[in-house]
Amino acid sequence: MQAPIGAKNKYGLGKLWGIFGGVLFVYLFLGFMVMPCFDTLTSIFSTKDAAGNPDPFAVIRFFFAGNMPSFVLNSLKLAVLLVVTVNIVGISIVLLTEYFDIKGAKILRLGYMTTLIYSGVALVTGYQFLYDKDGILTNWMMQFFPNMDRQWFSGFSSVLFTMTFACTSNHALFLRNAIRGIDYNTVEAARNMGAKPFKVLLKVVMPTLLPTLFSLTVMTFITGLCAMSAPTLLGYNSINPEIVRLAGSTTADESFPQARAALLSIILAIFTIVLLSVLNHYERKGHYLSVSKTKAKLVKQKIQNPAANVLAHIYAYILFVIYMTPVVMIVIFSLQNWQAIRSKTIDFSSWTLINYFGSQDYSYTTSRGKTKIRPDAISGVFANEKTIGGIRLSFILSALAAALACIIVVIAVNYIFKHKNKKRSKVVEACMLFPWLLPTILICYSFRIFFNREVWYVFGKNLYYAENVRFLIIMAYTVVKLPFAIRMIKAAFYAIDEELEDAARNLGASSMVTFLKVKLPIVLPSVLAVFALNFNALFTEYDMSATFHSSYGTSYAMVMQSMCNEEGRDGMNMNASGRRCASTVFIMLVSGLILYLVYGVGARDLGERLAIREKRRKRFEKMKARLGLAHAAAEELPSDAGEYQE
Amino acid sequence: MIKLSDIIVKFGDFEALHNINVHVKEGEFFTFLGPSGCGKTTTLRTITGFIEPVGGTVEMQGKDITHVPIEKRNIGIVFQSYALFPTMTVHDNIAFGLKIKKMKKDEIEKKVSEIARKVDLSDEQLKKAVSQLSGGQQQRVAIARALVTEPAIICMDEPLSNLDAKLRVQLRNELKKMQKEFGITTIYVTHDQEEALTLSDRIAVFNKGYIEQIGTPNEVYNHSETEFVANFIGDINPLDHSLIAPLHLDENKHHFIRLERIHVNQPEREGVLTLNGIIEMQEYYGLYIKYYIRTGDQILKVIEKNDGISIYEPGANVSITIDPQDIMSY
Repeated sequence: MQAPIGAKNKYGLGKLWGIFGGVLFVYLFLGFMVMPCFDTLTSIFSTKDAAGNPDPFAVIRFFFAGNMPSFVLNSLKLAVLLVVTVNIVGISIVLLTEYFDIKGAKILRLGYMTTLIYSGVALVTGYQFLYDKDGILTNWMMQFFPNMDRQWFSGFSSVLFTMTFACTSNHALFLRNAIRGIDYNTVEAARNMGAKPFKVLLKVVMPTLLPTLFSLTVMTFITGLCAMSAPTLLGYNSINPEIVRLAGSTTADESFPQARAALLSIILAIFTIVLLSVLNHYERKGHYLSVSKTKAKLVKQKIQNPAANVLAHIYAYILFVIYMTPVVMIVIFSLQNWQAIRSKTIDFSSWTLINYFGSQDYSYTTSRGKTKIRPDAISGVFANEKTIGGIRLSFILSALAAALACIIVVIAVNYIFKHKNKKRSKVVEACMLFPWLLPTILICYSFRIFFNREVWYVFGKNLYYAENVRFLIIMAYTVVKLPFAIRMIKAAFYAIDEELEDAARNLGASSMVTFLKVKLPIVLPSVLAVFALNFNALFTEYDMSATFHSSYGTSYAMVMQSMCNEEGRDGMNMNASGRRCASTVFIMLVSGLILYLVYGVGARDLGERLAIREKRRKRFEKMKARLGLAHAAAEELPSDAGEYQE
Repeated sequence: MIKLSDIIVKFGDFEALHNINVHVKEGEFFTFLGPSGCGKTTTLRTITGFIEPVGGTVEMQGKDITHVPIEKRNIGIVFQSYALFPTMTVHDNIAFGLKIKKMKKDEIEKKVSEIARKVDLSDEQLKKAVSQLSGGQQQRVAIARALVTEPAIICMDEPLSNLDAKLRVQLRNELKKMQKEFGITTIYVTHDQEEALTLSDRIAVFNKGYIEQIGTPNEVYNHSETEFVANFIGDINPLDHSLIAPLHLDENKHHFIRLERIHVNQPEREGVLTLNGIIEMQEYYGLYIKYYIRTGDQILKVIEKNDGISIYEPGANVSITIDPQDIMSY
């Protein structure tokens, strides 16, 4: 409700906090969002010619004269085709598990959702492990198709294939929710009016999914445009890998690499801004909302045509196999010894836990016939300092950044709701959404270049130097995850009944107590869900890790990449692939556990929690009673025996 | 007890309340009744302190509380949605206000169990989450939470509007019983005329930010002071010229008669107008039957008690009688 004229701010004490918060917010926004990005923008025009004279348009001329447009075109090609393939697969998996009556849908859904815990660099290296020229599946396929190109899984097609299955997580989450929100009465009404099942799907169901599909399409396009781990690891010349390469290059190697990287980042930003503006415009036009007050739950549709039904089942299970094969293979190979892994065959006599725990020496014969021993050349994830160090660093940095993003957003959203309909709340929201307009790589690149010098407002420190880089990574992670966090947490705040706040105030609670005791517990499940999703995404992310890669910033993604390259080199790291599989399994377990705790346990309301507790208590008492009876019976037995004796 | 004097509330340029004057007496069940957007909730929120008026004063027990903060007014509120904290148990919901007041733990326990007993909540229910309770039980929790801090008055903002019809009637009776038991001054907001008439000692009928009438249920129903009140409370028949002339009524005024004041097939009496009519339509309500009777150019709605014998089918010729004393003119 609008505040009436005459209402005064009675909480003068909070004003000091307000000023402090405002100053901190401006500092963080200007210092860690605007300044670095502005610096990148201006660096494009700060180039100099051979004589050292300013030549502001040199990089633009270079762009049109050199091969730089090919990177942009390659990225565009990937983005366009990815939209098609991801939508086909994404819509398929949702329809097959939520709309059509397919046998084993629950198992299928689990398979399709593996990308929620198995993503980023782990997924790309996993695919590489299976499908590259020596991959187990490539070897297997070669037996059936001997003339097949061994190197089929490289370049554009491999990137497209990998990303198609890696990028359906959003479909699995959001399109699934959209289809579940359909009022089944509308389907029944269409059937009642004579529409055939396919027509109902096309004319009734799909139109209601269009807004969600449009958002997913835009997000997929941006993902394709900004692709990093797949092009880098599988070899495809797109924008992002080139930016990272240029960022690490010097003028001694090539012409103004930083300015070229900046230009490519800005080109990505322009694409992103245009696409998000289109999306925003479309979203403002409104969604198809169900007008039904008594919404009926969607009933799965049987495919009446037997042939179509069989085909749908085959298609569903082929997709399931594609999703599950890498996961299963990674788990199996994480338990195989290095010889089995190297020969890419599953050896049932080679089961081992060495890829997880402990270490072994490796003995080999040199070209001169001498036997040498390489100590600890075979080591498990938890015994290999480099691997566990990368995991530990990624874990800590991701957890801190995900938590920081949630804390900042919760405070900001509380402020936005407290001052809604006021300009300042809109400004705060716009600032928080600002990083959404910029590709991740632009933010990271800007951070790396801008903070790779002494900056006065961070106490004159070089944040890219030595251990400081970890702070820089946390800041970059946090900034990048703010827009997602604010969109999700704001939605959770909308769900809070305004009367709860009034009730707390009426009962004498201060703003702070109301926030901590009433509002925060309500939004906590959503906040934890955002934390989990952000944490999982950051844990295995590649783009930022590659940009900030240094001896103090070697995250899990970089360790994974190095494990791909260094396997068995000079008799060292003999089981790098096995350790890579084991670390992927470990990450999947951690991500899965976090998702279970947040979505499974954390999503339960107080009623459900108390009901479970009560059930457990009753079960425990029943068990106790049974044990007690057994005990009593055991105690009674001798006396009975005595009686009998008597 | 509570006195509102010349209260004016504005939202931007929009004046939501215009010079509201109300005096609620101690122990009274006082209802603000009116259609949506008439200002009844705004008046309640002005009393509770959520809205500060731009003009006028709010007095409680003789003290000016116009600018007293919400939490210091000692007013309990039962919200439309009950506003029970979903992350707390029933016990913690009731104890919330006491904990804020930093009462001792044993004192809190004592007060909570005392109020729980009064509103008929068991110890088992106190341990439950609010989502595990029925609508009626939730309402009792909301009342207990509002009463446990021993407020001087209790305000209820449409607390029955979210419930189904049967439960609404059941809880209405419980509410009245509880109010009498506690003897607490109660201000109740509703748009439901039946609820207002059955529960209240007195009613203020609101319209467009003004109070049209304050009176007992009988006064507002049988002696409605304005056309709006007559129209809003109960159902009425506007009388057209074909009836105004034979009844010798003032043609410059609007005239109405309540449905139950027109009688079907009654013997003619002196001073009572008798007319012939045809039943156009019949609505069967069980307890009573509503007839639409055409007489001349006008269709009159009439309610007759369902005695199971005198039931008239559409097309039947009947006579209707109107006593001029029952006519309301504005």
